[in-house]
Order: sequence, then C-alpha cells, then structure tokens
Amino acid sequence: MLRRVVAVVAVVVCAAGVVAYQATRPARAPATPRVFVPSPRFFLDFSPSFRTSIADAYYLNMVQYYGEHARGDGRFDSLPQMVDLVTRLSPHFARANIFGAFALIDAGRPDLSARVLRRAFSENPGDYRYPSYLGFFAYRYGKGKTKDVVAAHWYQKAASIPGSPSYLTRLAAVLMGKGGETQKAILMWGQVYSAGDKYARQKAVVGLERILPKEKQARMKAVAPLYGTMPKADFEALIAELFQGYGQ
Amino acid sequence: MKQLVAITINTFKETIRDRVLAVIVVFALLMIAGGLWLGSISLGEQGRMIKDFGLVAVTGFGLIVAVFVAANLVHKEVEKRTVYVLFSKPVSRAAFITGKFIGLCGTMAVVLAGMGLFLFALVWIVAGQASGMVLLAVLMIYVQLLAVVAVTIFFSTMGSAILAAVLGICVFVAGQLSHNVLALTRLGKNPITEALSWVVYVIIPNLSAVDVKAGAVGEQTLAWGQIGLWVAYLLAYIVVALALATVIFRRKEF
Repeated sequence: MLRRVVAVVAVVVCAAGVVAYQATRPARAPATPRVFVPSPRFFLDFSPSFRTSIADAYYLNMVQYYGEHARGDGRFDSLPQMVDLVTRLSPHFARANIFGAFALIDAGRPDLSARVLRRAFSENPGDYRYPSYLGFFAYRYGKGKTKDVVAAHWYQKAASIPGSPSYLTRLAAVLMGKGGETQKAILMWGQVYSAGDKYARQKAVVGLERILPKEKQARMKAVAPLYGTMPKADFEALIAELFQGYGQ
Repeated sequence: MKQLVAITINTFKETIRDRVLAVIVVFALLMIAGGLWLGSISLGEQGRMIKDFGLVAVTGFGLIVAVFVAANLVHKEVEKRTVYVLFSKPVSRAAFITGKFIGLCGTMAVVLAGMGLFLFALVWIVAGQASGMVLLAVLMIYVQLLAVVAVTIFFSTMGSAILAAVLGICVFVAGQLSHNVLALTRLGKNPITEALSWVVYVIIPNLSAVDVKAGAVGEQTLAWGQIGLWVAYLLAYIVVALALATVIFRRKEF
C-alpha cells in the first residue's frame, strides 16, 4: 500500500514539475526572438520544392512580428529582411507583397516598400493593384515637384491593365494636371470621357475645365489633340460640353 | 504471373493491416487539420495555408510510411523465415521483389488517397472552391514516394532494415537537391570531381524537377509536357532500382 502511495506521489510530483517548467518558459522568452533571418538564396538553393511552404511559415512569422512590434516598441528592425525573404520565395503571394509593402511604410522604409511593389509588379504584370499602390506611395511619400507626375504614371499603368477600376484613369488625369503635364492630362480626361458612364463624363468635364484655358482660341488649341484619340461622337459631345457658354 | 499477383495481394493485406500505419495516418490527418489553425492567423490566407502545409504533411508522413514499411518488407520475410517456404516453391526473385513493391504501391495509394481526399475536402470547405491542383499535387507526391520506395527496397536487399530506412530518407533529401549536385559539376576545373559529381547527379533521383506544390498554391503555372516527362523518368528510375534489387537479391542464398 505504502509503495503504491509513494509511486503515485512520485508521478504527481514529476507531472507538476513538467507543468511548472513549461509554465515558467514564456516569461523567459527573448524579447526580440527573430534576430536572424536567412537569405532567400539559401532556401532557393536547398529546398526548392518547399519554397512556398517556407514562405508561408515566414509570412506567419512576419505578421506576428509586425503585430508584436506595432503594439509594442514600434521598432521593426528585422521586417525588411522578412519581407524580402517571403516575397522572393513566393513572388506571386499577393497578400505578402501588399502587406509587406504597407508594413515597410510603418517601419519608415518607403524606399524598400516601393522596391517590393516594383518587383511584385514585374512578377505579376496582370495585377493592377501593384502599380496603383506604387502610385499611391509615390504621391503620399514622394518628394519634389515631380511626385504628382510619377504617381500619375503609375496610375496610368494600373489603368491600362484589363479589369482595373475606372477611377484609376481619373486619378492619373487629375495628378497629371496637378503636376503640370497639361497635355497628357487632357488626353487622359478624354479617355475617361469616352470610356466612362455619365458620372465619369461629368468628372472628365470638370477635370478639363480646371486645366483648360478660358480664352476660346487657346482652349480650342488645347483640346485639338483629343481629335483622333477618341470616337468622333464622344469627341463632339465633349467639345459641345466644353464650349457650352462660348457661343458660335 | 500467378505468383506475382499472390505476393502483391499478400503484401498489400499485410501492410495495410499494420496498426502503426493507422496511427501514422491519423496523426497525418490531425497535422493536415492543424493547417486550419495556421490559416486563422494568416490574415485571410486560410486556403493557401491549408494547401501548403497540408501538402508538406502529406509528403512527410507519406515518406515515413514509404521508407519504414519498404525497409522492413524483405527483412521481415527473412527474419520470420517465411522466405524459405516461399522460395521452395517456383517463385522467382524478380517476382518476389516486384510483388512486394506493387503491394506496397497499393498500400501507399490507399494512404495517400485518404490524406489527399481529406486535404481536398478541407480546402473545399475553407476556401469555398474545389482545388483539383491539390489532388494532382498529391498524385505527384505519390509518384515521388514510389521512387523512394524502390530505392529503399534496393537498399534493404543489401543491409539492415534500419540502414535501408536511413538511406531511403537520405535519397529523398538528396533528390530534393539534385540541381545543386549538377551545379557542383560546373564548379572548379578538376575533371575527376566534375565526373564524380555528374555520376552522383545521375544516380540520385531528381525529385525536384517539377514543383507541383507551388502550382497548387498558384505560385507557378504547370507545363504538362514537363510533368509527363518527369513522371516517365521516375517510372524508369523505379524499374532500374527494382532490377538492381533483384540482381542483388538473387545472389543471396536461402
């Protein structure tokens, strides 16, 4: 009987020891557990058949890392390497590319963010989201006088991809006008007008009114390049709207 | 032919009844279902996570089954001395090896079909659409593992079961790095190392020529011609491995 009790006590003590050991571990976990992030080359060379699985594992790691530090100290020291690793191992992983790009903005690295998006766009030329985000980032974080035009170019690229939303052309036209590229802006508003619905046509007329000269002859000269770039009926309808108050 | 069919059916029945196999399969299904949890922390990428980690689980557990069962196939018969009874009848060594291999192929087919269909159903439920690529990927994993089975049977005719299992796993790993071995042939100017690397490159089965897992998660478009060629290559490899196993097994006296 005593032997049995001793055995049971010994087992219970051991079980308690096991639980206690594990329960005290989280407090001892390092504050920044991801100091070392391997290079994408390493995985591409040594586990080509499992590269997407490794990318997924690191993607989960990256999301967790971002969440921890966004709520905590706001430092994202390992994030650029993590984003680079995941997006190079799995270049068609759209969410990783986009999440990574936005996370890098939070990490104060818009340059790396743009690099990730540019690479993603070269790997996925049929996805309009990459150039449209590049346009947004160029507009929001770009510097100098040309930032509007750079953003407009990206939006223009995005708009040219089949399946892209129609507002992208309007955005590109607005930014072209803002950036001083009046001729290009006029042509783009012409595209918006001929390809859009009633709402888009109204937007195009308002957009053109903003950048076209008020004087009749100068206005006629400015809209002349539109002739031939859009269907004749649309061109005539647009001209009629733009010259409404000008008389014969 | 009759003997071959009898050995095949017997091997299939023997291996499929193994309780360890059932435990491994249940564990594999749990691991595949574990992808659900990973999916829940992936910011809306549940489908991709389940596919990717599920296929890794299918590969891993399929490899365990393939290697450990294949390593024991021939040894069990020798240890239990049933091989003496078998070869006292008009059974050729080739029929013995081939029957064992085909029987295990059947067991592997059942195991992988179970895991594959479970993964397919899980992806369908979670992602909301059926993914035929998952089934294709499982089929390709099956063909890969058959090559590993053939090589493991070959090793088991030469040494102990444990050694055969370890070497089988090594061949699987080496097969994933086949292109690296090829790269070695181009390093340096030493013709001996170059020739040696080339021989190793040819001997090791090329298990990474087609990446169907990446295709299943939409990372890569698959070239059907390449897949067909690769499958034909692996089948040819299996034939050679089994032929060599038979040659070695013929030399053994029972």
